[in-house]
Amino acid sequence: MIEIHNLTKVFGSFKAVDGLNLRVEPGEIFGFLGPNGAGKTTTVKILSGIMRPTAGRVSVAGYDLATDPLAAKRAMAYIPDEPFVYPKLTGWEFMRFIGDLYSVPLSDQKKRIPELLELFELAAYSGELLESYSHGMKQKLLIAGVMLRRPKAVLFDEPTVGLDPKSIRRFKSLLADIAREGAAVFMCTHILDMAEKLCHTVGIIYRGRLIARGTVAEVKKMASGAFGPRSLEEVFLELTE
Amino acid sequence: MFNILLTRKALTFVNTLRGLRGWKLAKNLMFAGVGLLMLSALYAGFWRLLAYLEGVQLIGPMLSWKLTSMVLLMTFSMVIVSSIIISMSTLYYSFDLKFLFSAPLDLRAIFMDKALETVFYSSWTLVLAILPFVIALGRVKALGAGFYLAYGFLMVPLVLLAGAVGIFFSMLVMYAFPSSKTRDVTWLLGSLSVAFVYVVFRFSKPEQLLRPDSLEIVAQYIQYLQSPTAPYMPSWWVTKAMVAYSAGHWGAFAASAGVLCLAAGALYALIYFVSGRVYMRGFSGAQSSPRFKGGRGTLPEQRLAAAFPALRAYFTLYWKDRLMLARDARYWSQIILIAALIAVYLFSIRQLPLDTPALKSLISFLNVGVAGFVMAAIGLRFTFPAVSLEGSSYWLLKAAPITTAAVLREKLSVSLLPSVLIGTVLISVSNYLLNADLFVSVLSTFTIVVAAVVITVMGIGFGAAFPDFNVENIHQLESSYGGFLYMATSMGYLALLVGTEAWPVQMHFAERFGRYHPWDPRAVAFCAAMFLALNAAALYVPWKIGLRNLEKHEI
Repeated sequence: MIEIHNLTKVFGSFKAVDGLNLRVEPGEIFGFLGPNGAGKTTTVKILSGIMRPTAGRVSVAGYDLATDPLAAKRAMAYIPDEPFVYPKLTGWEFMRFIGDLYSVPLSDQKKRIPELLELFELAAYSGELLESYSHGMKQKLLIAGVMLRRPKAVLFDEPTVGLDPKSIRRFKSLLADIAREGAAVFMCTHILDMAEKLCHTVGIIYRGRLIARGTVAEVKKMASGAFGPRSLEEVFLELTE
Repeated sequence: MFNILLTRKALTFVNTLRGLRGWKLAKNLMFAGVGLLMLSALYAGFWRLLAYLEGVQLIGPMLSWKLTSMVLLMTFSMVIVSSIIISMSTLYYSFDLKFLFSAPLDLRAIFMDKALETVFYSSWTLVLAILPFVIALGRVKALGAGFYLAYGFLMVPLVLLAGAVGIFFSMLVMYAFPSSKTRDVTWLLGSLSVAFVYVVFRFSKPEQLLRPDSLEIVAQYIQYLQSPTAPYMPSWWVTKAMVAYSAGHWGAFAASAGVLCLAAGALYALIYFVSGRVYMRGFSGAQSSPRFKGGRGTLPEQRLAAAFPALRAYFTLYWKDRLMLARDARYWSQIILIAALIAVYLFSIRQLPLDTPALKSLISFLNVGVAGFVMAAIGLRFTFPAVSLEGSSYWLLKAAPITTAAVLREKLSVSLLPSVLIGTVLISVSNYLLNADLFVSVLSTFTIVVAAVVITVMGIGFGAAFPDFNVENIHQLESSYGGFLYMATSMGYLALLVGTEAWPVQMHFAERFGRYHPWDPRAVAFCAAMFLALNAAALYVPWKIGLRNLEKHEI
């Protein structure tokens, strides 16, 4: 479970996130939507523990990120929008690194790493240095790293950027599997169609404030003068104009 | 087209200057002020040396011009080597190259833009470093402001030529072997060349220039002084032009300057022409990564991590760093330079003209400060950048369930053993060469081990206090504000460290010279307390500041 209470982040005189309150339940896929510069990436960076909030509180799987950061980080997985990885490690070594870093038992690593590399069609490249991987391959490797750990909360920032259509389809199915296993999924995305079809609930952030929150159907009803069935895209554009 | 590229550089420069406000401005001004102080100290040293040489009867002016030609030859050679190393990054791996190549720009315009960037980066520090020498030369020879203008005019084609030689070499190598592996090999060759030039220069005993008595025949010495240092090198043309200027031989000055400018023009015309045919092939090849096949075996650290779960994070980070460093040619090729530095250091110790055993022992003690300086310089290259070299991947550690302190401890452990080893080798071999007495040998060895630990901790601490995860190479970190502070603090620490031991050493020498009751236990206790306090502070403060800063650092 991910809980956010009155989260605020200020850069100088600019309020990137302004009093955000959210709760993502275990098994829920939450889509975090918003235009560029609305505060999505800042929020997800705070949730992942790589940025500190100016005010407010965040807890992951019951662990407060401020008072018990290691336990909270152990319970969650984060994939940023840019898949920066160590260029001089091979794909196989990177998976081992993630496994070791998150205390995945050696026997599990030996069994699961080849399976995951196979699943993401990276097995043939697993002995090559990551500097030779494409953006999409690195993204797939990071997702494979998340799958290796079975976290209780998953944070994705634009996870499908750079993935090919086949990988996007596989990713969607994996996301549903992760949620079915009981993890809370928090996903920033610009692909409204994916959010509409995949997410149980969505939230729209605009200029640092959460302006809509609920199931896709509920959010669609929030737009003013909603006559007849409208797409999430139309509602999003109206709310963020 | 080229104008557009130059405008973008000018705008970047102007915007950088505009961004200098408040603390950032103060920091840069402070940095510049200290740099100016160092240049002034160099000037004072050069002035004394040149004034002495100029005062030597009959051959004085010849001596100073000979030294000038050697300085210019060294500068010219170093710019060539720097240009080879830097051009491999600027011409083939700059972050903006993909954008430039996709823009409707002429290939030659991109090449010339990057070539000028290379010349600038490979020459500015060297040009600045010899400036005090040239100012001192002009003053000693009373040549007036015109001499400096002439020198400035001559330096432009000289560095342009040196830079072009390096660029031309890189371009041909990348054309012949268009692969990113070529960059690694070139870096390795570059390090080897610098090490070779450095060792050969030192082993040729340049101090003999100041001791004419070391050459048996006077005529031979004068002939040596009068002969060109390297007649076909542009640096010699600059020397000839400067000599001609000082003597008022305008025709000879114009001839040498003309040859220099013509050579620069011709070489740039050549590389401009050749780049159109060969640059693309090299750039394209540089984008391909060499094939690498890693194994799937379990590493020793992974076995240790399984055996000692409490140290799992440490062993994991350790094997990651070990593999990364072993595979990064930029990093380990520098080890050649360290080997050269140690060789020259020990050679210089052996050459010291010391007569008495007591003097040798005293120098052995003071040698701790010099060896400490060498270790701080090595730390600036290896220890200080350790945190920043995590680069854009640092988010992985920041998001992982490990503390920042654990990350720093692991970085420290990687650097600690080599540091202690280098320090111990420097001091033990120096003590052996100087035949130091037992007291000084034991004290200096113990002190260097402590200093090695402290300097390494300070390197990690300052590296964490001033992290920069966006740098493209280690040189940017070395010349950063944090790097400068690290060196300055290390120097201060070493001075105090030697100071705390000076009193007991003085008592030891008093005993050697037969003074009655030379040892004062209260003084020894006081010095020991100062020694402990100094080292505790030097260990604790930078580490704590670095740790706190890195914990707060947001990416």
